[in-house]
Amino acid sequence: MLQSSVRTEQVTLNMGPQHPSTHGVLRLELVLDGEVVVDARPVIGYLHRGVEKIGEARTYPQFLPYTDRIDYLSAASNNGAYVQAVEKLMGVEVPDRAKYLRVIALELNRIASHLVFIATFANDLAATTVFLYAIRERELIMDLFEMWVGARLTQSTFRIGGVTEDIPEEFLPKAREFCALLPKRLEEYDRLLTGNRIFEARTRGVGILPPEVAWDYACSGPTLRGSGVSFDVRRAEPYEAYDQVDFEVVTHPACDCLGRYLVRMGEMRESVRIIAQCVDRLPQGEVRAKVGRVVKPPAGEAYGRVESPRGEFGCYVVSDGGTSPVRVRLRAPSFFHLAALPQMLRGWKMGDVVAILGSIDIVLGEVDR
Amino acid sequence: MMELLQKELGEALQACEQVGKELRIRVTPQQLVPVTRLCKQHGYTYPCDITAVDMRTELVLVYRLIAPDSGEQVVVKVGAPRSGARIPTVSGVYGAAEWLEREVYDLFGVRFEGHPDLRRILLTDDWEGHPLLK
Repeated sequence: MLQSSVRTEQVTLNMGPQHPSTHGVLRLELVLDGEVVVDARPVIGYLHRGVEKIGEARTYPQFLPYTDRIDYLSAASNNGAYVQAVEKLMGVEVPDRAKYLRVIALELNRIASHLVFIATFANDLAATTVFLYAIRERELIMDLFEMWVGARLTQSTFRIGGVTEDIPEEFLPKAREFCALLPKRLEEYDRLLTGNRIFEARTRGVGILPPEVAWDYACSGPTLRGSGVSFDVRRAEPYEAYDQVDFEVVTHPACDCLGRYLVRMGEMRESVRIIAQCVDRLPQGEVRAKVGRVVKPPAGEAYGRVESPRGEFGCYVVSDGGTSPVRVRLRAPSFFHLAALPQMLRGWKMGDVVAILGSIDIVLGEVDR
Repeated sequence: MMELLQKELGEALQACEQVGKELRIRVTPQQLVPVTRLCKQHGYTYPCDITAVDMRTELVLVYRLIAPDSGEQVVVKVGAPRSGARIPTVSGVYGAAEWLEREVYDLFGVRFEGHPDLRRILLTDDWEGHPLLK
């Protein structure tokens, strides 16, 4: 009786571009019926820097440090996709030691990025303490990179043909120490967060992404694997030394925010295993193949793909035989996940938006490029 | 896949080349939607990327479709004029195409016919021109 006499209407609410949970500059236009999300339209481009256009005006080696800044939480995977494409074009064979060092860099970056995810995801759901714990461990990874290449965040560890330089003597013992420490710290996070009833209530069954929708929107990485799909570029098309190390592709069948969180927790444990194997088996030898100062790949095209912490990061390079690429296309996984976000948001409450957005772990730097 | 495409398309298949795991083909704009639909039916369920390259003489649209089980890739290329290009949308075949085509429209000016919501995506709505054209 009462309901029929009350007039209701949908409201459009702008969330962002300066909203703390958007982790950068993202605007969501939410169409709300009361508290329920009827539709969502992500508005992007606030961080567009024209990186692909810049690539056409730089030489091949000059463009490498720009790639660090695309997905700034995981510089190594951007480097990896770019050099993979250029090396495919040139037919460069990378020395074994460089391949192993690259895997170490990639996996350290994966852990660092997932730690930021755990930190911010927990923080968004009001578990502030976890933020400080996770950032504490991430600091150790930053220190390792600083020891190796001097930089901490945008490291440019990779070079066309190898890595920038060999690791210093003290690197391996410190890396071993880190591999021994992190699993213990992950148990601590589990005690803090994974079994926490408030955390579970906010994430379990929330933001469902069915596997067929995930494929349709070309989702990859933990977003796809959290929907129970075992797809990982490291396994599907092994690059560097991934065919020589033993690791599991972590999946979770839940299709919800909790599933995506648990996949990342599992992946950090696998990354530690990969790093430990690489540290133990690190071959001796050169760390960079002989590539001339002037890089001129023959005319043609190549696509390099790596498994970044967020999913498939790809780089499509077209060459006309000159010193600069004709086209550098960067295929960033967050772009695809954001396109699929409305599918996950519809029907959930306004309060769940923050949890669902956090669970796909976007980096606006790579969405907008 | 190569034989299948040759059989289905006949003359409309302008080029066909296998490079590693990539099957690179070139088709006419009219064949684009049928070809992508055919690929999807044959296991290429992962629309990895859609982009374009300005080759100065023409625009080349590049559709990278991947079969997740085998890792095989079909790279479908379509030629288009550098200005005023009109290409049928594949957003009815793959959901991911909706945003990817918006980006190609934004940066290259290609109009995708039948697209449900063809607006700029990275640049502001009042931006003039398409910056990735040479």
